[in-house]
Amino acid sequence: MIALHDISVSFDGQHVLNRINFSMKTGEFLYLVGPTGSGKSTLLRLLYMDLKPEHGYVRFEEFDSNTIKDRDIPYLRRRLGIVFQDFKLLEDRNIYDNVAFALHVTNTPGTEIRKRVLHLLADVGLSHKRSHRPHELSGGEQQRVVIARALVNSPVLLLADEPTGNLDPTASAEIVELLRKINMRGTAVLMATHNYEIVRKYPARIVQIKEGALQEVEIRK
Amino acid sequence: MQIGYILKEGFSGFRRAKLSMTAAIITITISLLLLSSFSILLINANSVIESLREKVEMEAFLSDAVSRKEADGIRAHIAALEGVSRVHFVSKEEAAEIFKEEFGEDIHRVLDFNPLPASLKIFLSEGYRTAAKAEAIYLAVNQIAGVEDVIYRKTLLEMLDRRAQTFLWVSLAIGACIAVSSIFLVANTIRLAIYAKRRIIQTMKLIGATRSFIRFPFIIEGLFQGVIGGLLAAGILFVIFEYLLLYAALPLEDFLKVDPLHYGVIVGVGSLLGLLGSIISIRRFIGERVVTE
Repeated sequence: MIALHDISVSFDGQHVLNRINFSMKTGEFLYLVGPTGSGKSTLLRLLYMDLKPEHGYVRFEEFDSNTIKDRDIPYLRRRLGIVFQDFKLLEDRNIYDNVAFALHVTNTPGTEIRKRVLHLLADVGLSHKRSHRPHELSGGEQQRVVIARALVNSPVLLLADEPTGNLDPTASAEIVELLRKINMRGTAVLMATHNYEIVRKYPARIVQIKEGALQEVEIRK
Repeated sequence: MQIGYILKEGFSGFRRAKLSMTAAIITITISLLLLSSFSILLINANSVIESLREKVEMEAFLSDAVSRKEADGIRAHIAALEGVSRVHFVSKEEAAEIFKEEFGEDIHRVLDFNPLPASLKIFLSEGYRTAAKAEAIYLAVNQIAGVEDVIYRKTLLEMLDRRAQTFLWVSLAIGACIAVSSIFLVANTIRLAIYAKRRIIQTMKLIGATRSFIRFPFIIEGLFQGVIGGLLAAGILFVIFEYLLLYAALPLEDFLKVDPLHYGVIVGVGSLLGLLGSIISIRRFIGERVVTE
């Protein structure tokens, strides 16, 4: 489904990723771990093609980083769901409109938008706060809205970049459980985190970035 | 593309970003007020100069030997010259009447005879009321047999020419300054409003919105700011020129006239300012990378 082949990326002459290879299967749940600044976000940016590799290629379904045109990048992103540490909600509109925006983008008919948004808000337990603005919600709630928005176009892969980074332990656990529930329904999840406690508590395949290289690691119980 | 949604998004700025929307509209209104007050003054000043030129007439004095019939021939000759709009015959008797009106005394009583010659008053067509063109007509008329002398206010025309030239350059310079600063001001205000939304723009890109999907609501918003700014400016000017000046009883209505078309032009220019301002500003922010390191 997604593959990085012989990828190198450097900033200011320093290799962040050095000839790495990585792939993920449909429906998989994977942790991407490593200390802050190790290149986790860079790897995710490669996947949603906000960044192009200096060497190698990224392939997601029919999209290839070497051949993709700038105007096709939005179509790639619609097949992905992206969740951020800092949420990135549209502050100028309410929760309902935030989730609905992702559907307006794909030109979904109005009745379908209503049905899907309400369904997903119910799924993340925020139906009652649909008219609230993002800043009126707690961090955990905002992250649930982001997840609802990421799922509304039924992506095959959900990218989560430190989704619990700004949350307290209880909210963090809720978010990870939600991500696992989503994964159980068939969506692949790639979660970048440096929270080893979560990784230990909810085991899955783990890939570690260290000094520009990737390695599979086993969790020590 | 969902036109309904894009239109709705374009209008939603009035609700979501009242402050920056108001700032942009006020900026456009003020810029247009400056630009249009200046152009109204310019147009009217030009018409004042033109009305002064209209008053410049040429008079050809005829020899006493010229009969009335010959005078009619000369008159037809002059009327056929390029740049002459009409020619009016003034007989010796009429000249005496004019003298009486001007000096309050009968010329016959002063001199026993009428020394005033008959004359032809020559009115120049628009565009020929400049010193150089009047001079050409003067020379042509002066050559006609039976014409003793031709007079016109050459120095006044020369002065008007010079002043008009200076006036034109000065006003072009001031106009250009006002126009440039208006465009700069409006573009900057719109850019600030869009800058405030750049995180939103970036997020939209992450969700998979195409550039045009993001761009159109901003352009519609800019266009509407321009239309509203234009309507406000036109409305304010209308009230000032059509009501306030009359109530103030200033004797300005002869000098300051506003063509109704001018109001339409103001709204048009406002729309254009808003449209261009938003197109230019959004272009800059939409090209940015989503995540900045």
